[in-house]
Amino acid sequence: MMDRQKIVLVACGTGIATSTVVGQKVETLLAANHVNAKVIQCKITEVGSYEDQADLLVTTTILSRAYKIPVVKAVNYLTNINPGKIDQEILDALK
Amino acid sequence: MLLESVQFILNLGPTVMLPIVITVIGMAFGQGFKKAFRSGLTIGVGFVGINLVINLLVTNLGGAAQQMVTRFGLVLNIIDVGWPAAAAITWASPVAAIMIPICMLVNIVLLITKCTDVVDIDIWNYWHFAAASATVYVLTDGNWLLAILAGILYEVAVLKIADKTAPMVQEFFGLEGVSLPTGSTAACGLIGIPIVKLVQKIPGIKNLKADPDTIQKRFGIFGEPLMMGLILGMLLGILAGYGFDKILQIGVSMAGVMFLMPRMVKILMEGLIPVSESVREFLQSKNFGKDRNLTIGLDAAVAVGHPAVIATALVLVPITLFLAVILPGNQVLPFGDLATICFYVAFIVGAARGNIVHSVIAGTIVMGLGLLMATNIASFHTQMAIMAHFNMPEGTATISSLDMGGNFLNWIVIKIFQLI
Repeated sequence: MMDRQKIVLVACGTGIATSTVVGQKVETLLAANHVNAKVIQCKITEVGSYEDQADLLVTTTILSRAYKIPVVKAVNYLTNINPGKIDQEILDALK
Repeated sequence: MLLESVQFILNLGPTVMLPIVITVIGMAFGQGFKKAFRSGLTIGVGFVGINLVINLLVTNLGGAAQQMVTRFGLVLNIIDVGWPAAAAITWASPVAAIMIPICMLVNIVLLITKCTDVVDIDIWNYWHFAAASATVYVLTDGNWLLAILAGILYEVAVLKIADKTAPMVQEFFGLEGVSLPTGSTAACGLIGIPIVKLVQKIPGIKNLKADPDTIQKRFGIFGEPLMMGLILGMLLGILAGYGFDKILQIGVSMAGVMFLMPRMVKILMEGLIPVSESVREFLQSKNFGKDRNLTIGLDAAVAVGHPAVIATALVLVPITLFLAVILPGNQVLPFGDLATICFYVAFIVGAARGNIVHSVIAGTIVMGLGLLMATNIASFHTQMAIMAHFNMPEGTATISSLDMGGNFLNWIVIKIFQLI
């Protein structure tokens, strides 16, 4: 069976700092659960350019508007408080 | 002998020095050699990349800036290289790496003595503290003690501001249990918050409002570094009196700089993650006493997505460019940090309770001051870059940044140490 590869956007304020940390966690999570998906890291203001092709937005920052795709907030990956809950949210969103 | 080997390593430049230093620090935090060395080498490679992009930026923009001076007498000959380059220049300083364990210790001491409630696990932004150290290191011709002291002073100030703004971060931004000890955000908040309070008292302005969604639509282009680089580059080409061919070339080159610089810094960041996780685990494993409202210090990046922050920052991009031209005494050509304005206004917008009109007014004043400070300390900034072995072409060789050069706290620290 060939699934279409899903696209996960990981966005923060810079597209560099916190999104790198979260991006790595999401990649590890996807690989460990054999989810066929690719991570694109960007600034929150760049989400508009990728929104149409993406399946999920994972963000460490506050949402700047309403989005067409599902959103998972990932601040807990940074604070390390109950990160398992976010793992589950991401996996559920990509089912 | 020890002194000689330290000197030898420092002279090798950051691409070699940082892999060695980060490997040692990583191992000191209990990582195996392999993991620590991998991180160190990644950081070194990040440096190689940043050097390439800075070179592209300074060569292209330097020439155009020079032409603008001759054509219009527009003296904007100090290039704003942006925070990614400023952070890289900082990490390249001999004092920077040692500031990681020092800043962590200072944080622990302040927590134990109840001078702060911030558990600052955002190691990446320790670079702001290290930047004060690195600047004073240049200023004092390599006085380690004073340099370290300057960094500690800066850290204490940022943690205190983070404490004071924590209630606003939790109420306005809705970030439960979080504070934002990010140097640039704190420094701009320190001058910006009182200005907001003042603006909100002015009759006529007090009741003005603007809608963030409309602004995001209208000014959206300024939020995309790729497009912003292209447009700014072409605009500069036109002002420099270039032919059509060269206008197109500088446009694409500048789009390249804006797009590639964050990619390179990301590599640096990846190398720093293992050290950062170790420090976080260490800090979070400590018990600083119950019945205290401790906050977790995170990168202000977690707040800047707020619609009002984004809208304010987008409007401030053209305003800052305009200010740079009309502000007497300014010599900085804003470029790299136009993409970072959202960080400078985060606390301002929070203090204004999301009122964009008030935030833009306060932000304009803060950006104006930032330009003047960045002009004022450009010579140190440039000297730090030269020490970091970055290529600076002859003649056009002055750089600064709004993030580090135009930073109120950094500027104050420098002024204090200039007196000593």
